[in-house]
Amino acid sequence: MSGLAATFRDELRRIFANWPVFSVLVAAVAFYSLFYPQPYLNEALRDVAVVVVDQDQTVSSRDLSRRIDASPDVAVVSVLPDYPAAQRQVFAREASGIVVIPQGFERDLLSGRPSPVALYADASYFLIYQKVALAVSGVTRTLGAEVMAKRLVAQGTDVAVATGVADPMPLTAIALFNPQGGYASYLLPAAFILILQQTLLIGVGLAGTLSRDGPPPPATPLARVLGKLLAYLALEAFIVPFCLVAVPYLYGIPRIGGLFPLLVYAVLFVLAVGALGLVVAGTFRTSYAVQLTMAAIGMPLFFLSGFSWPAEAMPTPILWLARLVPSTSAIDGLVQIGQMGASLADLRQPAFILFALAIGYGGVAVALEARRGQGSPLR
Amino acid sequence: MRGRDDIRFGFELVFWREVRWLKRRPLLLAMTTIVPAAIMALLMMVFGAGLATKLPVGVLDLDGSELSRQIVRTVDATPDVRVARHVADLAEGRRLIEAGRVYGLLMLPKNLERDVLGARRPEVVFFYNSQMLTAGNVVLKGVNAAIPTVASGITLSVFTAQGIPAASAQSALQPVPLQISPLFNPTLSYVFFLLAALLPAILQIVVTTTLAYSVGLDVETPYRLRVLGRLGGGLFPALAGKLLPYTVLFLLLLGLADAVLFGWFGMPLQGSRWMLVLAAVLFILTCQFIGALLALLLKNTASAVSLATLLTASAFGFMGIGFPRFGMNAFSQGWGALMPGTWFLTARIDQTVRGAPLDLSLKPVLILAIFALVLGALMVFYLDLMRRRIDRQEGAMRAAVAGEGAA
Repeated sequence: MSGLAATFRDELRRIFANWPVFSVLVAAVAFYSLFYPQPYLNEALRDVAVVVVDQDQTVSSRDLSRRIDASPDVAVVSVLPDYPAAQRQVFAREASGIVVIPQGFERDLLSGRPSPVALYADASYFLIYQKVALAVSGVTRTLGAEVMAKRLVAQGTDVAVATGVADPMPLTAIALFNPQGGYASYLLPAAFILILQQTLLIGVGLAGTLSRDGPPPPATPLARVLGKLLAYLALEAFIVPFCLVAVPYLYGIPRIGGLFPLLVYAVLFVLAVGALGLVVAGTFRTSYAVQLTMAAIGMPLFFLSGFSWPAEAMPTPILWLARLVPSTSAIDGLVQIGQMGASLADLRQPAFILFALAIGYGGVAVALEARRGQGSPLR
Repeated sequence: MRGRDDIRFGFELVFWREVRWLKRRPLLLAMTTIVPAAIMALLMMVFGAGLATKLPVGVLDLDGSELSRQIVRTVDATPDVRVARHVADLAEGRRLIEAGRVYGLLMLPKNLERDVLGARRPEVVFFYNSQMLTAGNVVLKGVNAAIPTVASGITLSVFTAQGIPAASAQSALQPVPLQISPLFNPTLSYVFFLLAALLPAILQIVVTTTLAYSVGLDVETPYRLRVLGRLGGGLFPALAGKLLPYTVLFLLLLGLADAVLFGWFGMPLQGSRWMLVLAAVLFILTCQFIGALLALLLKNTASAVSLATLLTASAFGFMGIGFPRFGMNAFSQGWGALMPGTWFLTARIDQTVRGAPLDLSLKPVLILAIFALVLGALMVFYLDLMRRRIDRQEGAMRAAVAGEGAA
C-alpha cells in the first residue's frame, strides 16, 4: 500500500516537474480549447452564394430568383445570361450553385404545364451542397404548392380542399438535439474527448519514457500501475470538467445530460486512456516514438469513432479495432449523455467496454512493468 | 576553397548518410513508411464504402392502416434508410435515438389514412438525430424522398377520381419540378470528398513532425551540426542532402495513396496531372521546411516535435473541407491561409474532381511556391548565421590553441 501511495506522489511530482509532460497534459489542453473551436464558432453557413441563369427574363422568373435570394441560407450574387459564365464563377469558388430558369418558364407555368428548374450545386464540399440543395428545393416546393392550389381554386375547388389535395400529408422534420444545426455544437463535444485522449496518451507516454533523475519508489508492479493511474485520475479531475463542462458552456454549446453519468464515464475513460498510455510507454520505449506516432494517429481515431461517419458504413473488422480505442466508446457515451440526454441505463455497453479496456490495458501495463522489473533488478 | 564538384560530392555524401540513417533508425524508417501507410490504409477502409446507406430508423405507427404500412414500406425501400424497429410509444423511440440504436423516428399519427382522404392534411413527423450530422442528414434525406412519393400518389388518385386524365394530373402534381445535379461529385461519395482530403492532411502532420525530429537530431548539439556541415561541404548542400530523401519518400507515399484513390476507388482525374505533381512537390517541401525550421530555431528536438504537432494536428479544421472557409471568422481564415495543406487541397480538388480551368489553380500553387521560397530562404539565412558563429568560435579556439603553442 505504501508503494502505491509513493508512486502516486512520485508520478504527480514528475508531471509537474517535467515541462514536456506538463505542457502536453495542461498547456496543450488549454491552448486547444481556445484554438480548436475557432473555425466553427460562426456555427452555421448563411447566405451561401448562388448564381441564377435566367433564360426566361419574365416577371415569374425574376420572382423565383427573388424568393431564392430571400431564403436565409443562400444569396443570389449575380444573375447571368448563360451557363458557362456561371460555371466559371463556381470554378473560381465565387459561387456554390447555379439555378437555371429555362426559357418558357412563365409560359408553361401560366398554361398549366410543369415548369422545370435546374439546380447545379457544388458537391465538392458537402456542407455547401446540402445548404444550397435544401434551400433551393424548399423555395421551388413552396412555389409549386402555391401554384397547384391556385389552379385548383381556379377550377372551383374549395381552398382548404385544394391545399389538402396539393399537399395531403405534410412532413415535419424535427431535429432532436442541436436544434440550430450548428457545426460547433455538432463537432466540439466529440472533438474535445479526442483532444483529452490524445493529450493524456502523449503525456503518460512521455512520463513513462523520459529519463528520470532518481530511481522510482519501490513498489510491486500492480501498486506501481495503480499509483500512476490514480495520479492521472487526480490530475484529470480538473482537466476533464474544464474540457467537457466549462469550455462547452463558454462556447454556448447545449448540454442537457446529468452530471453523475458524465462523471462515471469520465472516470472510466481516464482509467482506460491512462492504462493505454502506460502500455504505449512500455512498448514504444522512446519519447520521440510516442510523440510522433500519437501525433499522426489522432485524427484517424476521431473518424474511427463512428461519430462523424456512421459505424454502419464501416467494415466489421474496423469496428472491432475501433472498440479497442477508448475514444470510440467515450464519444458514444459522453455525447449521448451530454448532448442527447441519454440515461446511464441506456448506455451500459460503451461503459462496460471502457471498463474492460481499463482492466485489459491495466493488466498489460502490470505485465510490462513486471518484465521491466526483472530485466533490471536495480529499478 | 572547395570547388563545385566537392559540393555535389558533399551533397551526395549527406544524402546517402541520411538514407543509411533511415535504415538504422527504426523510428525514422517507420515514420516515413509503415506508419503513414498504415494510417492511410485504415482511413481507406473506414471510408471505403463511400456512401452511408441503409441506416437504421424506428417507426411509430399509430394508424396501422393500409396507407401507413405503405409509407413504412416506401421509407424502407429508399437506399438511405432501413426500418429497424417498430416502437410502441414516443418514449421508447426517444430512448432508442438517445442510445444511438436508430438515427431517427418516423411517427405516423392516428387516423392518418382517414384524415388524408378527408383532405384534413394530417402531419407526419420525423424526429432525427442532428447531433450525428452525417447520419442524421442521410436518414432525413431518405424520409424526405419517401413521404412526398407516397403523397403525390394520393394526390394523383384524387385527381383521377375527379376524372382528370392521369397524364395531365401527373404534370399538375409538380408545377415547378427541381432537377438537382451535384456538380463534381455526382454520387456524393465520401471517398472523393473527405478521404481524398484527409490523406494529404495526415501527411502534413507526419512530414512536419518527422522532419522536426530528424533535423532536430542534427542541430540539437553544435557538434553534430558541424559534422553535418563538414560532410556536406557547407551547410546548405548538407541540408539539401539531408532533406531530399524525405521528399522522395513522402512523395512516394502520396503517390501510393493517389494510386489507390484513382485506381481502386475510381476517383476522377479531370485536371492537369502536371499541376497536381507540381503542387504536391511544393506542398511536401513546405511541410519539410516548417519542420526543419522549427528544429533549427528551437534547437530542442522534443520542443520542435511538440510545436509541430500543435500546429499541424489541428490544421484540418482550418482547411475548410468540413466547414467551408468562407463561413469562418477572420482569425480562422487567416490561420488557414498560413497552412500549406489549405492551398494544396484547393489545387488538388480543382485538378482532380472539379476539373477547373488551369489558370484558377495558379493562385494556390503560386502561394505554395512562395511558402517554399520564403521558408527556404529563411533556412539558408539562419544556417548562414549559425555557420558564421561556428566559424568564429572555431577561429577563436584555433587562435587560443595557437597562442598556447607559441607560449
